[in-house]
Amino acid sequence: MSDLLEDLWAAYASTLGFAMVNAFFALATYATLSAGILSFAAVTYGAAGGFLGAQLLLNTTLPLPLIFLASALAGLVMAMIVAALFLRLESHWMALSSLALVLITRVVVLNTPGLTGGVNGLSLPAPLSMIWLVALLALAVFGFWLLDRSWYGIAAKSVREDPSVAACLGIDPRRIQLIAMAVSGLAGGLGGVLMAMMLQFVSPDTFFIHVAFTMIAGVVLGGSHHWFGPVLGAAVFTALPTVMQAVVPDLQDIANGAALLLIMIFLPRGLLDPRAIRLRRAAK
Amino acid sequence: MSLLALDGVRKSFGGVTAVADLSFSVREGAVAGLMGPNGAGKTTVINLISGLLHPDTGTIRIAATDIAHAPPHEIAATGLARTYQNVRLIAGMTALEQVLAGRYLRRDTSLLASILHLPAARTAMRAARDHARALLARVGMDHRADTLAETLSYGEQRRVEIARALAAEPRLLLLDEPTAGMNAAESAEIGRLVHALRDGGLTVLMVEHNMKLVADFCDHVVVMNFGRKIAEGTAAECIGDPAVQEAYFGRRHAQH
Repeated sequence: MSDLLEDLWAAYASTLGFAMVNAFFALATYATLSAGILSFAAVTYGAAGGFLGAQLLLNTTLPLPLIFLASALAGLVMAMIVAALFLRLESHWMALSSLALVLITRVVVLNTPGLTGGVNGLSLPAPLSMIWLVALLALAVFGFWLLDRSWYGIAAKSVREDPSVAACLGIDPRRIQLIAMAVSGLAGGLGGVLMAMMLQFVSPDTFFIHVAFTMIAGVVLGGSHHWFGPVLGAAVFTALPTVMQAVVPDLQDIANGAALLLIMIFLPRGLLDPRAIRLRRAAK
Repeated sequence: MSLLALDGVRKSFGGVTAVADLSFSVREGAVAGLMGPNGAGKTTVINLISGLLHPDTGTIRIAATDIAHAPPHEIAATGLARTYQNVRLIAGMTALEQVLAGRYLRRDTSLLASILHLPAARTAMRAARDHARALLARVGMDHRADTLAETLSYGEQRRVEIARALAAEPRLLLLDEPTAGMNAAESAEIGRLVHALRDGGLTVLMVEHNMKLVADFCDHVVVMNFGRKIAEGTAAECIGDPAVQEAYFGRRHAQH
């Protein structure tokens, strides 16, 4: 029995690790989405945190918590730059610009080998312990729980659903969205360094379109109206390819797509939808 | 002393002039009515005052401040609250949460203190919840406080929306057709509420089609047609005005 558990753990530990890392990116996307901004820029915040963290790990003897903090702050700084440039844009333009930013990020990473290792990337020595991952994700989730229950949470919900009504209630939509982007930057930057440590390697391809796809799919799948949605969605979306590969190896991509389609058709607001829960409770 | 004063306000959308050279003022503590046939520009005026639109020319003053080009959240902070012609509640929130959102300006704590759940911020949040619950009771909706607002009836949603507007303790309240879609009993209830609010010192400007309500509750009426003011005075004066009768019933009827 214990052998079986050990085998299972060996087979799925890395999947679980990546699920948690992806949860940071999904949470970073959820952070802006919950204030009405669809943005893929968390990939760029991840690159900022990932490469800075990698350099600190390779060239300094800083303790891990400080490296995590520095990486999160790198994401925050990047998010504030993005906010200064893009926050004035209408929502769909914001989404497109942030996608362009993901493409630009890769080019910048490729062409600054002194900082990023360029085409060759950077290899990192020690793997990330699962304890750290669990602790940091718990901390992040606690942060989102606090945000949700605060005046910020009430204001963000209002801005997301109807910015002009929110403004007439005295809520400054830009201020709320700036906070949302700051939170997104912190989560993305932290996700970046965790991704780098999990892979023990970072390169221009580490923070690219596939991360944007995974995180947005994770949020849509899990539900974008509660902080647990992205965590759940990231887990499902990380495990799905692994499971599908085991079950239907030849049809893996088709099975993935079909599973996503089914969820979007039957659960358009995601797996976890507080509104549906409230409606069900009201019906009783 | 007028709390609200519009002077020479003009607003065009492309070639269409929605509001032309409009001037009127509302005395502090008064209930003023804004009337006019459909398309007269009444809702545009409400949107101009609340800052969702900005006039091409003219000034809009609340107390002494010109807010014609201020953003809506700054205008709200000067003490203005409003409701909407087609109720606009926030999807996914309970009735209580809607009113709580309206209390944002009076939250008595910084956003950071609230996010960190500092003791003072928690006390302030509890006070805000109590206040919101009391307001729901005032509009007769406390029994539905924890119900998802979008599942309430239209009349109930309107009452929640009024409670939300009152939550910030405004000085000036704009009501855009508060009784639309309500039956006679519900309308009378809204009328009584407006009256009670005025007795409490609130200044109200309401767009209203219900003549009885206007006659019973408005101290002062402004009538618009095609974006212009065509009459102003007491409800009785306005209803008797030939230009108003023409606007509502057409020229031939007015001559009889």
